[in-house]
Amino acid sequence: MKGLRDAFILGVALVLQSAFLYRIEIWGIRPDLLVAYVVYFGWMRGPIAGSLAGFAIGLMQDLDASGPLGLNALAKTVVGFAVAKAGFRVHRSNPGVRFFFFLLAMIAHDVIYFAASSTGDFGLFLKQMFLVAIPSALYTTILTLFLLGFAERFSRRPLLADES
Amino acid sequence: MLRYFLARRTDWTVFVVACTISLSLMLLDRSGQARAAWFLQHTLLAPVSTVVGWWDRGVGLYWDNERLRARLTRMQIELDGATAERAENTRLRSLLKLAERHPYELISARVVGRSLDRLGGSLTIDKGEEDGVFANRAVLTPDGLVGRVERSTAHGARVLTLLHRDCAVAARVERSRVDGVVRWEFGEQPTLNLLYVSSQEDVKVGDRIQTSGLGGIFPSGIRIGTVTRIGLEENGLMKEITVRPAVNFRTLEELLAYSPATLPTTVPSDLFPAETSDSLRANASADSLAAAGQP
Repeated sequence: MKGLRDAFILGVALVLQSAFLYRIEIWGIRPDLLVAYVVYFGWMRGPIAGSLAGFAIGLMQDLDASGPLGLNALAKTVVGFAVAKAGFRVHRSNPGVRFFFFLLAMIAHDVIYFAASSTGDFGLFLKQMFLVAIPSALYTTILTLFLLGFAERFSRRPLLADES
Repeated sequence: MLRYFLARRTDWTVFVVACTISLSLMLLDRSGQARAAWFLQHTLLAPVSTVVGWWDRGVGLYWDNERLRARLTRMQIELDGATAERAENTRLRSLLKLAERHPYELISARVVGRSLDRLGGSLTIDKGEEDGVFANRAVLTPDGLVGRVERSTAHGARVLTLLHRDCAVAARVERSRVDGVVRWEFGEQPTLNLLYVSSQEDVKVGDRIQTSGLGGIFPSGIRIGTVTRIGLEENGLMKEITVRPAVNFRTLEELLAYSPATLPTTVPSDLFPAETSDSLRANASADSLAAAGQP
């Protein structure tokens, strides 16, 4: 049941990412729901599932991208694993904790992504972090929390529940 | 030690293996990455593509069938008339010794999906094989070239834009007619470059780049972009030319898919029965002699 639900959420995220989110770009900043999904999945399912999901989703993105193969896979594997490790026994239903976790995870993802893609050019890395990564992380976090809140209200049960 | 680590620290093992595979893929050279991408797309993603294909073919099959039956009947009637006219046209053209034109059709399509990555290397459009959009057809806008169709299904197609590593275009400098290949390069600064241009060739900043038509996929004369920077490679043999694309890929909503029309380029042998053919040729030569003022 949990697996079906998570597969459904991934399907929705993929459709939104490819067919809708480019329409709500602000100054070229587009939310990245797939990182948000990896954070959600790793947080709920633990480090093994988080790493595997991050790797698979990242690799799928890499095959569709112009950048080097493996870059998204590496960034998302690290994020999936780190979130699962750091988020163990954390109060997941608290909105503040959610905001902090999602924002930090997105920024960590982009630190890896831009550090690898800027290949040692520190100026370029800083520029990309300030102009793309941080605004994109904020935008994605706000959108994710909104969608999460909407889905939880609709289903009348928490998707990101505290551990029992 | 290793056995203990694998048994007790499964999470770390999975993490390290996934990171190692990712890093190995990143460290491959360009051709290695292309081979790895091809392998992954044709093994791991093949079942996904198959399922998507079934879904695409399966959805609305009944309604498609009804619509297509009616369309087939109507088109059969039109085809009968068109076949006769085309045969007559070809006959007359060969008599007048006119070269065949190369007509084309532009099929308009809407962008319904974009690349999952932030760099935007691919697009999904709402027209497919049923509408005449097939793989390896050029896709453009009034501003210039967008890319090529990578694969198409019945009602949709995936377009690789110029910003994708697998989309290379035979190009030419409009002013000096220098040939090269335009390709997206993911280096320290990801840019669209004009490659394989010797350091002796005449290329200047501001020159416009267009398709050369070599290679057969892209028709010639479509604008690609403008030269913004020229440098020299380390070995000094080739120029490093950066091109700014004519198309703004971020704001694309409507596209045109180029489709060459499929008129026959040679006269079919069964068009002229033996006797008719001889008499037509005789008439044609008599006409040409008369036109030249000879008895």
